[in-house]
Amino acid sequence: MNRALQAALAGGVIFCAAHAAKAAVTAITPDACATLRKHGKTPEAHSCYEALSQQRDPYLRAEGYWGLKMYREANDQFRQAVAQSDANPLYRVRWGRLLHERFNNTDADNLFKEALQHDPKNAQAYLGLALVSADGFDNAAIDWDEKALALDSNLIEAHELMANLALEDSATDLAVKEADAAMALSPDALDAMAIHAAVEVLGDRPPDAWFEKIRSVNPHYGEAYALVAHHLILNRRYEDGIAYYRKAIELDPEDWSAHSELGINLMRLGQEDEPRRELELSYANDYRDAATVNSLRLLDSYKNFVTFKDDTLTLKLQKKEADLLHPYVEAVAKKAMATYEAKYKFKLPGPVQIEVYPDHEDFAVRTLGMPGLGALGVTFGEVVAMDSPSGRKPGDFNWASTLWHEMSHVYILTMTNHRVPRWFAEGLAVHEETQASPEWGDRVTPEILLAIRDKKLLPVTDLDRGFVRPEYEAQVIVSYYQAGQICDYIQSRWGADKLLEMAHSFAKVQPTADVIQQDLGISAADFDKQFLAWLDGHVGKTAANFDEWRKDLKDLAEAAKAHHNDDIIQQGQQVRDLYPDYVYDANAYEFLAQAYEAEGNKKDAAAVLTDYEKRGGHDPDTLKELASLEDGLGNPAEAAATLNRINDIYPSDEQLHRRLGDLWLAQNNYPGAIREYSSVVAMHPIDAASAHLSLAQAYLAAGQTDKARENVLETLEAAPDYRPAQKLLLQLEDDNKGK
Amino acid sequence: MASVGLLFLCAVRPAHAGTFFVTVAGLGGEPDYDQRFTEAATDLDHILKSSGGEIHVVTLTGPNSTRQHVEDALAQVAREAKPDDDFVLILIGHGTFDGVEYKFNLPGPDVSATELAAWSDRIPAKRQLIVNTTSASGGSIAAFDRPGRAVIAATKTGTEKNATIFARYWVEALRDPTSDVNKNDAISAIEAFDYANAKTAAFYDSQKRLATEHAVFEDTGKHESVRAASTETGEGLFLSNFTLIRLGSAQKAFADPAKRDLLAKKEELEQKIDTLKYQKAAMSPDDYKQQLTDALVELARVQQEIDK
Repeated sequence: MNRALQAALAGGVIFCAAHAAKAAVTAITPDACATLRKHGKTPEAHSCYEALSQQRDPYLRAEGYWGLKMYREANDQFRQAVAQSDANPLYRVRWGRLLHERFNNTDADNLFKEALQHDPKNAQAYLGLALVSADGFDNAAIDWDEKALALDSNLIEAHELMANLALEDSATDLAVKEADAAMALSPDALDAMAIHAAVEVLGDRPPDAWFEKIRSVNPHYGEAYALVAHHLILNRRYEDGIAYYRKAIELDPEDWSAHSELGINLMRLGQEDEPRRELELSYANDYRDAATVNSLRLLDSYKNFVTFKDDTLTLKLQKKEADLLHPYVEAVAKKAMATYEAKYKFKLPGPVQIEVYPDHEDFAVRTLGMPGLGALGVTFGEVVAMDSPSGRKPGDFNWASTLWHEMSHVYILTMTNHRVPRWFAEGLAVHEETQASPEWGDRVTPEILLAIRDKKLLPVTDLDRGFVRPEYEAQVIVSYYQAGQICDYIQSRWGADKLLEMAHSFAKVQPTADVIQQDLGISAADFDKQFLAWLDGHVGKTAANFDEWRKDLKDLAEAAKAHHNDDIIQQGQQVRDLYPDYVYDANAYEFLAQAYEAEGNKKDAAAVLTDYEKRGGHDPDTLKELASLEDGLGNPAEAAATLNRINDIYPSDEQLHRRLGDLWLAQNNYPGAIREYSSVVAMHPIDAASAHLSLAQAYLAAGQTDKARENVLETLEAAPDYRPAQKLLLQLEDDNKGK
Repeated sequence: MASVGLLFLCAVRPAHAGTFFVTVAGLGGEPDYDQRFTEAATDLDHILKSSGGEIHVVTLTGPNSTRQHVEDALAQVAREAKPDDDFVLILIGHGTFDGVEYKFNLPGPDVSATELAAWSDRIPAKRQLIVNTTSASGGSIAAFDRPGRAVIAATKTGTEKNATIFARYWVEALRDPTSDVNKNDAISAIEAFDYANAKTAAFYDSQKRLATEHAVFEDTGKHESVRAASTETGEGLFLSNFTLIRLGSAQKAFADPAKRDLLAKKEELEQKIDTLKYQKAAMSPDDYKQQLTDALVELARVQQEIDK
């Protein structure tokens, strides 16, 4: 009797052994092997798959190789199977599942769709499409899975997936219902049991009974712990998630996906050595998905970063821009910490780590596998990762506002032990941006206005879904705005302390509806009604005017193109007032300012650009123009303040620092001038000599002659014949002798 | 010590020597490019003509920048220039390279790098510089390269075919005094190259665009173009001694015999400072700083005397 057959018999799955071995071997099926594996009978499953891999049928061989983790061979056999029997949808579905497992969702998606062309009612193909969509938190996952279940309500895996999707959306009741449906169909529905365990863990209740059930089916089913870990991470409970990934690995040391996830999440907590070991282990074992590979690359790139540490703050900045960004990032971070510490009445237990990535791809690695945009910054407990201002086009975002936002997360997540719904954490952070500066935070963008006008805002109890699984393209942005406005509304109606009170209520793992009822004294449904009425009072008119504004703005742009300044001045104010928050491309403020300037009316040009600035306009060139106007109108202090605002947006601008340094030096703001000229030096300008000379002059004005001398020597080392520097050196020499 | 000064004086070209500039704005192919190339050449023309000194400027733009006019302009320079003069040819526009030959796009027939090189060979000026700011300009270096002639190209090879922006910053370098990094009141070819190169890179960086041009130069006659000067290999030395624009009264003092001793002293100190810089790595930081400070203070006092 061959080894495969012996193993199969030992597994208790097989049929009649009395017949010839050949007959028995041909009766081995992929399902039988899968059942052995599901029950933790690893050696038996291995033998079973080995036997499959020796079959004549290429499809069976493909399943065999796949079970043996010989993925390339499996792929080849699937290709052969499809070539031999093009019309059989099963082969494409299973091939798609293999590719999905091996990180090739594009081809997997195509295969599932091809299978549906052959068999439009193939539930497994729809399930495959749902699995692919679920990877990217795509809302289509739910639609595909519903179709799969509509075609085959006994599809256990589809119920389990639906339960998982529901739990990702914080729809706990639906998750439990679907998990129960799966278990009703099969007592071995391990992932359904794991969903139940996750529900308990997320609710801070003991999950032991569920894990006991899982162990009784398969004592080595580490994936159950990994599934719980996944949900903990989604709920920003990183430490807990890591602990569960460790348990998953303990039960199944060859779960390379869990090793990779463990590494990635340890990285998120600011560690490097253990993550590298875990990720390299996964990689060495052929687990090479984008997250693993990119995380390893990111770890390699850390040699190009420099770290600044003190008791409360660790800054990780790219070497090339570290000297430039350090003072600005540190100042905003420290101010945020002082503000939040007082406001939230909470002191962080340890230092905060802020990582700033000039290469957006490096930052993007940090958000891989995370829902939502993660576009600018992301917080993992006490670690913040964000785009550097140099990582985007000038004016793309206000990095200081982003950092302020993320620092709110650091406090709220830590003080609530990471038990706060996404909508509240994001809403509060957006709210805090505008509290710090009315020029910061989210403006009502056209897509938000349209969502308001078209009544697309979600009920507060469902708002998390808008972040995790958006139903339309702009829904994440809309949800950020809505959440921020909700917090503004709560503060305006119930006071700022109420927001803190709610945070503490959420920390007790209370659902949104209960917290609103308890802390605000109204039902969630009433809250939604009253909030929408309040919002309508703020932006309803703008939303209603949207089409008119769009048409008028187009006309204004045409007038600007034709330099019809009188028309612009006449119509521009009305266009601006129809939608005052519109400070983006081709906005009425800039058209008006240009028209005023063309007419020689600098005062009104400055006034309109000041409005633009106060409304959160953040195009650096426009703000620099405002500064020039202010300076020209005899308001150098305002000009300096305007330029200083650009430091929050795009500090990688040598001329900005030179101008601001000059203005502040003239205004006797020596520390400010020193900071700005230091920034010029930090940018390693072409004209290093004049940068050092300016810095020397600022130091001298501040009475720091040693540093003045140091810098004048730097100047002359680069340009020995530089007359103004020579004069300053002689002045310093003479002053020194005169002492 | 006097010998050091003499050596230095011998290294520079005679004060009376002039510089011949020929700037050609080629065919844009579309109005936007035509306008851009003409503007750059016209700006350059103004900058050069207003810089004073012994400067001869010929600028060809639009329909005037034909192959025949270019040949005529270079022939005129060949007639007028002396061996001690400098010659600079600046090409602005589009270029093509087919793997063998570079061509500069002009209204009417194009002109090849080989032809331009041959016409420039007739110019007696011993020191020549060709600044080719066009697309694919890297493909022209081999044809232009010869002893006594440096070549600057906006692209490292002939295969960088996208329209370039190097010319914009090359012109800006000659207008912006900050490109004079050593503050000697003159903008050398290496300073202009460094300025334009850095600004070009910064442009692509700030726009988050993949850089499609990488400027290079060749000034050693080794037929190896490089992206940056090196004190170790001597690359960039020729360009650093090639003055394009004088910003101040740098040459005035040479005309005053009463200040010759001071000038000799100044040059001696400048040499000393240069030597110190080369020895920096081998010196203790304190010793270096002290010796540098002493030399710089002395140089400043000498300069003060010269300026009186």
